[in-house]
Amino acid sequence: MSGGNWLERHALGLAAALTAGALVVMLYFPIGVVFANAAFVEGVPTLEPVRDVLTDPFYVGSLAAVFENPLAIGSHIGALADWIGSSSISPTVVTPLPGIDLPLPWLSIQTPGFRGGLFGFTAYQATLSTVASVALALPAAAILANYEFRGRRTIRSLTILPFVLPGIMVAVGFYAMFGQAGTLNSLLGLVGLGPVPFMQFSPLVIVILAHAFYNAPLIARITVAAWESIDTRTVDTARSLGASRRRAFRDVVVPQLLPAVLTGALLTFVFTFMTFPIVLALGGLELATVEVWIYDRMRQLEYAEAATLALLETVLSLALTYVYLRYESAQTGLARVDARTAREPLFPDVRTALSPRRLAIGCYGVIALVVFVGPMASLVVGSVTDASGFTLGHFSFLLERQLDGAAFQTRPFPAIRNSLLFGVGTLALAVPMGVVVSVLTARAGWSGTIVETLAMVPLAVSGVVVGIGLLQGLVFGIELPYGWQFEVTGPVAIVVAHAVAAYPFVTRNVSPLLSNLDPTVVESARALGASRIRALLDIELPLIASGIVAGAAFAFAISIGEFSSTVILAGGTDAYTMPVALERYLGRRSGPAIAMGTILLFVTASSFVVIDRVGGRFER
Amino acid sequence: MTELRLESVSKRYGANEDGTAALESVDLRVRDGEFFTLVGPSGCGKTTTLRTIAGFEEPTTGTVSFDGEPASGTKPENRDVGVVFQNYALFSHMTVAENIGYGLQFLESEGDPSSDRRIAELLELVDLEGMGDREPDQLSGGQQQRVALARALAPEPSVLLLDEPMSALDARLRESLRRQLKRIQERLEITTVYVTHDQEEALAVSDRVAVMNDGAVEQVGPPETVYRDPASRFVAEFVGDNNVFEARVLESSAEETRVEIGDRTFRVPALEGERNLERSGERGLERSGERGLKQSGKRGPEQSGDRGRPSVADRMTICIRPEHLSRTASTNRFPVTVETSEFLGPTVRVHGRWNGIPVVLALEEVPTEELTVGFAPEDARLVERSP
Repeated sequence: MSGGNWLERHALGLAAALTAGALVVMLYFPIGVVFANAAFVEGVPTLEPVRDVLTDPFYVGSLAAVFENPLAIGSHIGALADWIGSSSISPTVVTPLPGIDLPLPWLSIQTPGFRGGLFGFTAYQATLSTVASVALALPAAAILANYEFRGRRTIRSLTILPFVLPGIMVAVGFYAMFGQAGTLNSLLGLVGLGPVPFMQFSPLVIVILAHAFYNAPLIARITVAAWESIDTRTVDTARSLGASRRRAFRDVVVPQLLPAVLTGALLTFVFTFMTFPIVLALGGLELATVEVWIYDRMRQLEYAEAATLALLETVLSLALTYVYLRYESAQTGLARVDARTAREPLFPDVRTALSPRRLAIGCYGVIALVVFVGPMASLVVGSVTDASGFTLGHFSFLLERQLDGAAFQTRPFPAIRNSLLFGVGTLALAVPMGVVVSVLTARAGWSGTIVETLAMVPLAVSGVVVGIGLLQGLVFGIELPYGWQFEVTGPVAIVVAHAVAAYPFVTRNVSPLLSNLDPTVVESARALGASRIRALLDIELPLIASGIVAGAAFAFAISIGEFSSTVILAGGTDAYTMPVALERYLGRRSGPAIAMGTILLFVTASSFVVIDRVGGRFER
Repeated sequence: MTELRLESVSKRYGANEDGTAALESVDLRVRDGEFFTLVGPSGCGKTTTLRTIAGFEEPTTGTVSFDGEPASGTKPENRDVGVVFQNYALFSHMTVAENIGYGLQFLESEGDPSSDRRIAELLELVDLEGMGDREPDQLSGGQQQRVALARALAPEPSVLLLDEPMSALDARLRESLRRQLKRIQERLEITTVYVTHDQEEALAVSDRVAVMNDGAVEQVGPPETVYRDPASRFVAEFVGDNNVFEARVLESSAEETRVEIGDRTFRVPALEGERNLERSGERGLERSGERGLKQSGKRGPEQSGDRGRPSVADRMTICIRPEHLSRTASTNRFPVTVETSEFLGPTVRVHGRWNGIPVVLALEEVPTEELTVGFAPEDARLVERSP
């Protein structure tokens, strides 16, 4: 048997072993290092740090007492009953916008003496963000699924865009819109109102809006897909059996949409529970979520505390992700049917355009415009305007900084260069890893499920945790036997962190194509004389090429936008990327930050164009 | 060219030896140049048999051999078979010509400049001249099916395997395509194994048919034999319409057997003499024109002692084809209550009951509610027997 043959027969096995090795070094070992920090004190295993956090009301609020003395169930229930007894909900009228006399009915909830602590607040803001995202997503889904209008397909494909937009850039966009000198206040100024200090009034609302900006399109996308897959003949059948239009909707359509909406909502909750750049940039420590607090502890060199929080956060998010994956897999594949009746035109004529339904759609359009288009438009507008009107001052500041900046200062070109280099490095690592994981999981039964779950861990582990792990594990160096030391430089660690965050997206793009691939196609090639590897190269890879390209574009966009682990790994070095530079500028001058954000917007938007071209063409 | 043999091939899925059996000791011999069909209901093991021949599955026990050469461990790419699947499995990213030419590159004479000519030849063979530059998805189902056939034939395989190649097509197209397939197969004289669940199709195209059920072969023979002399109750009911009666032997002589069905006495053929009781499978069941009577229990051991004259009070299963039940027959008459009539053109298919037993008739006109039919003793077939 020749060597070439051996290599050919074992190529898949080798690729699997290499990928597994890479995952251990790049993901499991770093996470292990973080957890070890939380579970060992001076080499002795202990639960002390975890106990400290769980019994500290600062972290877990009122639950601290429960963790302190978990067996005193009676007194905990009593406390809960007292608390519910003394809570009240009353309708009141509030004027949410200071300076504008706009009274709105509001349910005010009075809850005496409740403290959620850091974890409680994180869950609270995630819940509010999820509710806001669902509320914004459902009308969009209904319109996209049921009405025909110019630009419908474009909007439908744009729903993937927020996914590739860097969080820190979105935060700057919201700042450019809602800030004291933001576009919203400029517009209000035109009609003689304001300025309204939106950000100071309620940073939480702005943070939640920013989360909705991210997640509502995602939920809408999933829901539209479910809606379009509903066989309209089932609705027709219900109608012919005597159900009214409304009743048929409730009995036939809603049950088929609900799983999609819940899937999206769960995903949103997971994402917003781990939110970092948006809160950091828009809320700061006042609104600290767990993730922001871990970052802060890290900056204060409180490693053990940071590690303990990271451990708890990861356990929670893994549990949530597990629930999500279980739920998602319990949903049987959405059957694609071509039995849709034509969509209704959105605005067929002037008379229907004034019907209540059409007016409601119009109102929603305005809200969507403010939330989704506003921040990005404000970013671009803000980069070329200041108080006195049009200016290129912000860009020229960046240029000056590039030319005259001191070595310790953050200059724009290295940021752009680093971002692109790391992006390319991420592609080189993430694409092969993602494809190998897909190939291994495509048709492997339960063992494939295990591989898939292990390989999808990055979706549930926050960037900050990966960053801390890589910093402590690989950058600070590992002692090996015989006096060897294994360590990597900051830039390598950053590429590794990006690849870890990005390869699941390659897998998620490739796997569906691979598992939809008819096995008899490969078998036909084998029967015609092709070896397993030849069949993979000649048949499978070309057929999944679109998935690989889409996955690669995702990977690149994620690398470009990655902030959480990069900000930790690039701390105090010149390995900063565009998002990190953006955050550094934001702390001092908003103008150049907005200009930098605009550059970032164009880079990521072009990745989106690639995704859309490739993904869109094969979407049918 | 090539003779294909399967010897006690079994296939079990599951961890151990007693996992679910997909194939149970299958023996088949496909002669050189023969059009051989595996027919049976879904799940009977016909596709597994085909995949075992192609090398996509390895048998748990038993051997597949090509011209006496065992193929165990030989990968599909080295088996010299051409395969056409139900869904055609065309390479959607290649043109029609590239699809057809794909297998040519793996032949010994790689890079042969004649491959373009070969592709053109095959396109002509399947009536798709000038379509080489099309993409598969620009073709109709029937055209795609012919491309898949041309692709499988291109490397001149020694065996052609077809897995329900017509079942995605509509009835009329299916008929014209199977005539074309048969013509091509006869011209190339290629050993062909065809899998279908459609017994009518199996009878129409095959030189010989193997009827499969539950992982085992029930009967092998030319279409006429399988139709006229089913070897088991399953074959009798699966191939064509049939009337199946449970009978009790009253009297058995060298000339005839007298049996009781319901409350009537019928005369059916004697079991001795030219008739044999034979076991299903390959051995001995080949003499066409002979009437094979099979004993009960399809996987029962071959007991020669059971051959011969049945004893009084034996139970047997008798079947009579609808076309053999006529109103004018003078013997074996019984009344039928008509339930439904289907006008089929040349005949009317009538479903009715006699003594609660379902009866199917092929008549020339729509009958009245009650009628009496009969059959000639020699038209009855005895398919199963238990003491």
